Formats: sequence, C-alpha cells, structure tokens
Amino acid sequence: MMISGGGGRSSWSSSTSSWVPTTSVSASGKRIQREMVELNNDPPPDSSAGPKGDNLYHWIATIIGTPGTPYQGGIFFLDIKFPSDYPFKPPQVVFKTRIYHCNVDPDGLVSMGILKDDWSPALTITKVLLAVRSILTNPDPYNAVVPGIAHLYLGDRAKHDDIAAEWTVRFAK
Amino acid sequence: MEEQKRSPRKQKLALVDSNGQNLATLLSPRFKSAAAMAGWDEEALLLASLVVEDTPDRDSKHKKRYVLHSKTPPTNSSRKRRALRTPKARNPVTFLDLDAEETPRKDSGRKKEGKKSCVDNEGSKVEEVGNELREKNQGAPSSGSALPCIDKLRDELSCAICLEICFEPSTTPCGHSFCRKCLRSAADKCGKKCPKCRQLISNGRSCTVNTVLWNTIQLLFPQEVEARKAASASKGRQQVQNLSPETAFFDNLRNSTQPRGAPSRSMRRSGATASTTQDDEDAALARRLQREIDEQSPETTRIRAARVRARRGVSTGQHEDAALALRLQREEFLQTFRGSNQDQSNRLPSSSLARANLRAMASRAMNLRISERRR
Repeated sequence: MMISGGGGRSSWSSSTSSWVPTTSVSASGKRIQREMVELNNDPPPDSSAGPKGDNLYHWIATIIGTPGTPYQGGIFFLDIKFPSDYPFKPPQVVFKTRIYHCNVDPDGLVSMGILKDDWSPALTITKVLLAVRSILTNPDPYNAVVPGIAHLYLGDRAKHDDIAAEWTVRFAK
Repeated sequence: MEEQKRSPRKQKLALVDSNGQNLATLLSPRFKSAAAMAGWDEEALLLASLVVEDTPDRDSKHKKRYVLHSKTPPTNSSRKRRALRTPKARNPVTFLDLDAEETPRKDSGRKKEGKKSCVDNEGSKVEEVGNELREKNQGAPSSGSALPCIDKLRDELSCAICLEICFEPSTTPCGHSFCRKCLRSAADKCGKKCPKCRQLISNGRSCTVNTVLWNTIQLLFPQEVEARKAASASKGRQQVQNLSPETAFFDNLRNSTQPRGAPSRSMRRSGATASTTQDDEDAALARRLQREIDEQSPETTRIRAARVRARRGVSTGQHEDAALALRLQREEFLQTFRGSNQDQSNRLPSSSLARANLRAMASRAMNLRISERRR
C-alpha cells in the first residue's frame, strides 16, 4: 500500500507541475478558485489553507493540534496537491511536519478512506481538513499505515500518547 | 346595438393614435404584471391592450355603455378614464419582478409616476416601491433579484461538484441535484454513486434535466446562467477553431454558405431570442442531426435537448474526439443539405459525394468506438 501510494505520488506531482497553466479556466481551476473564496469567507476552526505560490493546484494548509489530544499546541503544516481532474479525483494530503500517528506514513502521506476509494466530488478541502482534524483526535488503528504505532495505540495508549506528545513538542513547535 | 359596441372601440383606437402613452396608464396592474412575466415589451403591451378590449368583459362593456349613455362627447380626457378605472387600480397586485432586464416596463412605470399628480392612489405607490426595488437590483448586479433569502437560495441551488449555480440540473433517484454535466462526469469517473449520499444511482448517461428546477434557476439567477451559457459557447468556438486544417476549410465553406440559408431559418424562428444567426444555424443543424443519429436518449423537450446536445457536443474539454465526430457529421449533413436545397447536381460532383460518404462512415465508426469506450 505504501509503495503504491509513493509511486502515485511522484508521478502525480510531476504531471501536475507540467500540466498546470498559470491562468487556468478549466473546470478544476474554477472549482479550486471557488473553494479558495469560500475558505476566505468562512474559514474552518483551527485550520487554514491556501495556494502555496501562483500555482492554484498546490496548496499549503495548517492545522493546530486540538486541545485534549497529544497533539495539542502543535502547528502542523500540510501540503495539498490537486489532480488535474479534481474534484473527480481526490486531492493528495501530506503532512510536512513530522507527526506520530498511525494513519500518517513516514513520508507524511495521510491515509484516509475519503482520500482514496471513498472520495466523493461533493467533498471540499474544508471537509478534508475537518476529517484530518478528526483523525488526530480519533486515530483509526484498524486502517493504519504504520502498524507499530497502531499496535501501541491499542495495547498501551498512555505510552502512545506520551510519544506523540513528545514528537509534537519536538517537531511541531 | 352592434354599432354601439363598435364605436367605443374606434374611439379607443383614435385615442391611442392621438396620445399613445396614455394607454399604458389604463392597463390594470394585474395585466401589467402578467405581461411582465411573459416578457412583453411596451409595444406588445399596447397591442395586447387592444386585444384585451375586444375580449368579452362584462365590467368594461358596462363602463363603455355608461360612457355613451352619459352623453358626454368623446374626449381625450384621460383623467376621466382613470377616474372610471380607479376601482381596478385600487386593487393592486404586488408582483415579483424576477427579471432585472426590463427597461421598457420600467419606462412605462416612470411615465406613470410623472402623471401621478392627478391620481394619487395606492396603485401608484406600489408601482413606486416596485421601481425602487428594481433600481436596487441594478445597483447590485451580482444578485438576480432582491429576495432577502437570495444567499441561502444560492447555496441551495449550487451544484456540490462545481460549486456554481446548477446548470441544467439533473436530480438523482435519492433526490440530490447537480449540473447534468457534473453528474455525468462524476458517474463516469467516480462510480455510479450519488456524490452527496453515496447511494447507487443509475447510469449518468441517461440523466435528464429537472425542468422545474432549471426554470426556477433561470428565473432566479439570469445573469449567472447567461454568463455560463456564453462561456460554454465561446469555449466551443475556440475548440472548433483549434481542430485541424481540414475542418477549418469546411468551416470557411460553411461560413460562405451561411448568408444564403440563415435569413429564412432565423425568420421562421421570429428572432425574439438574442442569439446570433450563427447560433441559429448551429442549433438548426444540430437538431436535424440529432433526429438522424440519436435514438438513445429520451427526448423531453426536443428543442432544449438539441440545444444542450449542440453545446455539449462541441464544448466538453475531455471528449475532443466526440466533438470532432460531431463536427464532421455536421459538415457532411451541410453538404447534402446544400445540394438538396439548390437542386444543382453540378455543385456536388460525384467525387465529393463519395468523400462525404467516406467521412460519414468514419465518423460513425468513431462514434461507435467512443460509445464503446464509455461503456
């Protein structure tokens, strides 16, 4: 699973960077622009997102760790890459800040159902960020990409939380 | 009796000729609002008012007779007439002005305001409010009308896929509506599930436009709809121009034949629409073509379906092949059509006929391949 994810990622990023024109009038570009406007008008709580540079298809987002979780106080940066046929294909969400989480692979790739087979074109980046925030609160160890962390989470929750909090202090502050 | 009936009508006609604008004030607000909904301009309104006078209306006839019996000479005094009509004007109908682009009606409203001094009834007050409302609309051109809940409506009538106002909405069996094009793409690329609730939906190909919803959207957001129509049309043109030198050649050929064919056809369709003759020609051709090649999709309203088909056929970014095939077929048709139109066999030599046939076969094969690939 990890391998396929990594492979898709590299080809993906190359295709998006070569394909995207700066002044796009395509359907995907329009939709992304619209999402940007809506994010500005009605920003989600404790997170933000926007284009990284002049490339509309490459965004950067931040999530502030929810209080009451081992990630509290941390600021996590994410990279969001939109495929050229967005919204019919899911965006790719990668943690740029290191995080100790069973659903985030060592490269930072977020593994969630809605970012893979369960993607729906009616989902927006706002909803994706909300979902990422919710897996920070409630990890899904049964669909984990890092089995070791999932094991620890199920077996010794306190130790898992300690390590996660330590990583947050080390990398996300 | 017969004479009595006719004479007031003549008198009315004379009245219109002498001061035609007075008539606008004679119309009841109810009639005006109905006319506004039908999109009539001032001229049509005046004409219609004459027709209305002819229709058997107990009330008005009685009044006419009353005018005759009172032995007053037929004057042009509009004050008197308005005085007679006040009961009708007292009963104003507040109408929802959905179209912001009704300057003729607004003008008539202005005239009425100018003469308001003689009759100060509630009807004119309502008219005034209406005018204010319309002016507000023009102040904020982004919103189609000044309904208080327009933002909620905009959210509600937006397509969850493209996040814009639904364009030709199609409704799934589970009750969610999307742009037809968006729903089709979603079904093609994301599986046959409703994007909102993941319920199984039928083949996105067979989806039909929800007519009521589409008409509602067109009434509420005319500007957005027009902008999108224009965008898709220009996109289609661009794409057509980018196709190939051969099609460019046939394009020229088509343009050269256009002035001959276009006037008669556009006249038949009483140029009420603001479309150009080229659009008309395109639509006519597409309609004919559709009749020939299309048996799969159920036709609800034929003209609309043809228009949709024409637009979709040339505008979709992904299916360039389909656009090319349609284009070729259109040219093939145009050639044969031109031949039959003029009845000149020397205009179509056998070699070009053969070429046309070959092209038709190729395009049909291409169509088949496309439909197979989609399946």
